[in-house]
Amino acid sequence: MKNVIGQYVPFVVLFIALCSLPSALSAQVDIYGYFESQYTGIYLDTAYFQNAYNKLRVDITSTAVKNVEFGANVIFLHYFGATSWNVLDFLPADVTAAVSPDLYPYYQFTLSDSFFLDNIYARLNFRRCALTVGKQQISLGTGYFANPIDVLNTKDALDPTYEQPGHNAIRLDVYPANRMSIMALYTPIAFDWQNSGKLLRVKLGLGHFDFSITGYEYQYTTTDFYTFEQTQEQRRLFGADAVGELLGLGVWAEGGYTVIEDADDDLYEFITGGDYTFESGLYAMLEYHHNSSGKSDHTDYDLNDWMRFFTGEQNTIARDQMYGLIQYPLTDLIMVGGSVIFSISDGSAALVPMVYWSLYENVELTLMLNAYIGEEGKVFSEKLGNGGFIRANVYF
Amino acid sequence: MKSITILMIMIMSMGIFTGSAHAQEMTAQDIINTMTETMNPEQTEGKMEMTIMTSSGEERTFLYHTYSKGGGEMSLMKYLEPSRVKGQTILMLNDANDIWTYFPRTKRIRKLASHAKKQKLEGSDFSYEDMGGSDEFINEYDAVRLDDEKKEGRTCYKLELTRKPEGSAGYSRLVIWVDQEYMVPLVIDYYHDEDNSLREKQLICRDIQLIDNIYTPMQYTMYNKLDNTKTTMKIVEVHYDVDLPDDLFTEQGMQR
Repeated sequence: MKNVIGQYVPFVVLFIALCSLPSALSAQVDIYGYFESQYTGIYLDTAYFQNAYNKLRVDITSTAVKNVEFGANVIFLHYFGATSWNVLDFLPADVTAAVSPDLYPYYQFTLSDSFFLDNIYARLNFRRCALTVGKQQISLGTGYFANPIDVLNTKDALDPTYEQPGHNAIRLDVYPANRMSIMALYTPIAFDWQNSGKLLRVKLGLGHFDFSITGYEYQYTTTDFYTFEQTQEQRRLFGADAVGELLGLGVWAEGGYTVIEDADDDLYEFITGGDYTFESGLYAMLEYHHNSSGKSDHTDYDLNDWMRFFTGEQNTIARDQMYGLIQYPLTDLIMVGGSVIFSISDGSAALVPMVYWSLYENVELTLMLNAYIGEEGKVFSEKLGNGGFIRANVYF
Repeated sequence: MKSITILMIMIMSMGIFTGSAHAQEMTAQDIINTMTETMNPEQTEGKMEMTIMTSSGEERTFLYHTYSKGGGEMSLMKYLEPSRVKGQTILMLNDANDIWTYFPRTKRIRKLASHAKKQKLEGSDFSYEDMGGSDEFINEYDAVRLDDEKKEGRTCYKLELTRKPEGSAGYSRLVIWVDQEYMVPLVIDYYHDEDNSLREKQLICRDIQLIDNIYTPMQYTMYNKLDNTKTTMKIVEVHYDVDLPDDLFTEQGMQR
């Protein structure tokens, strides 16, 4: 459905910003951002594919008007190398066999150069509340590799801390007491209150813990990738999350229960984990993730499962998985580590060693490899391609 | 591990108590108690420059705003430079037993467990715990006064602090030289957690100035003797006569 109000929100913010232009011009405007260049190499079967991109993100923020912050960023993306792929090339033969050859082109995707406004918002700060209007980044939940209550974003388990896109929203944060906050979020769809997203989240700090409960009513689009027909359904998510400390360990849990209108089965998803920093500086983390929309038998994975996973419509294909992460400061400037993603449901795994190097004051290098250990048809099948990337970030 | 922020506050506050502290009969515990009583100005706002010298000789410089209230019970750091970390904010409550970090690029707030206090702050020789506040000099250590010594050209009280058996501090032993005129610690030796004969770090305070009637070292350097690195902090500006709102030390304050 066309997001009419959502399209207007950035322009409303722009209008407010223009109205404040005289004072804004006389005030300091911060301009900053980064340049990111990434080279990716993938071994797929016996062939080696190379892909790369250059990305420029420019942020502008201004606090020209007292208690008001204007923020925006634009992103330029330029791809080269192997920029056109067919998803079917990565899928098991028994899955692709169900697809008519006439439809093959529909599974082709191309990484196109792009230039877009990723965020543009105005934030009004009051004594005990803040109102943010516009396209903005929103993140929910305490999980590291996945966030069951954050239906606005989908994390890449191989690179879960990478920034998420902005969302058109009107957000109100109220702070009635110390360590207590209430968040109300409206994510508009057309001129339709019924189908637009409405979220309420209450967060409370008790002792060394932060607890939150979340309710979110929203419209969800499901794609049938055999026919490419899309259907909308109303969903209501009831979620809770907590983060704190137990017996010296950092611990957290996050879960969501989703009721789907006019559907027989509800969905539930949760993640729980813990972490610890040893005296040597070694940091270790472990998470367990269960997703009822995933499947427990890999022979049941079908085209829709794979495509919904690739497109972010669902967080995982498998029902149960474990995530592990270690990081160790090798020197003051070099951090080494790695993560393991293990699919309990089908016994496959992804190994992801990584190195972060602070090359210069504002220059970072990241090297990340991925090795899939699994038979064809499993989540982390070698057929998905082993490889890695090297990424350079220059901040300004 | 002794809090550097508290240490700074302590140092900044010493001057006003120099008259009473000069008594030669003061015991180590008297000095420590006086230090602890006077080290907590109600509120502080300042700007700091932190320079890390790595073992390979490379430098990294950070500039940040720092705020504290309640005698360091609440503190907040917001990075101004370099661009890589600009806007990142660290909130510490309950003497740094509760820590939150805010990442402006992702608009994400993350709560850290207390074990994270051991992690180095941006690769420096200071940890989160070092930057937070606590009464650890009193609560975690037994103090003994040794013979007075000259240090950095100044006459100093010399104190030895040994971790209490039930203590959980990150160092087994501390040796502190306190300037007798200004009652400012000039040097602190930190000994390894598991080997009380192994000196792990040394903090040296320099360039003492009188600011808002409080003697304030404007520069202090932490030497890591094991890694052969050092981190220098300079006070770019500091104010004590400020009225900081409580909501500065909240998630809302982190995002402003």
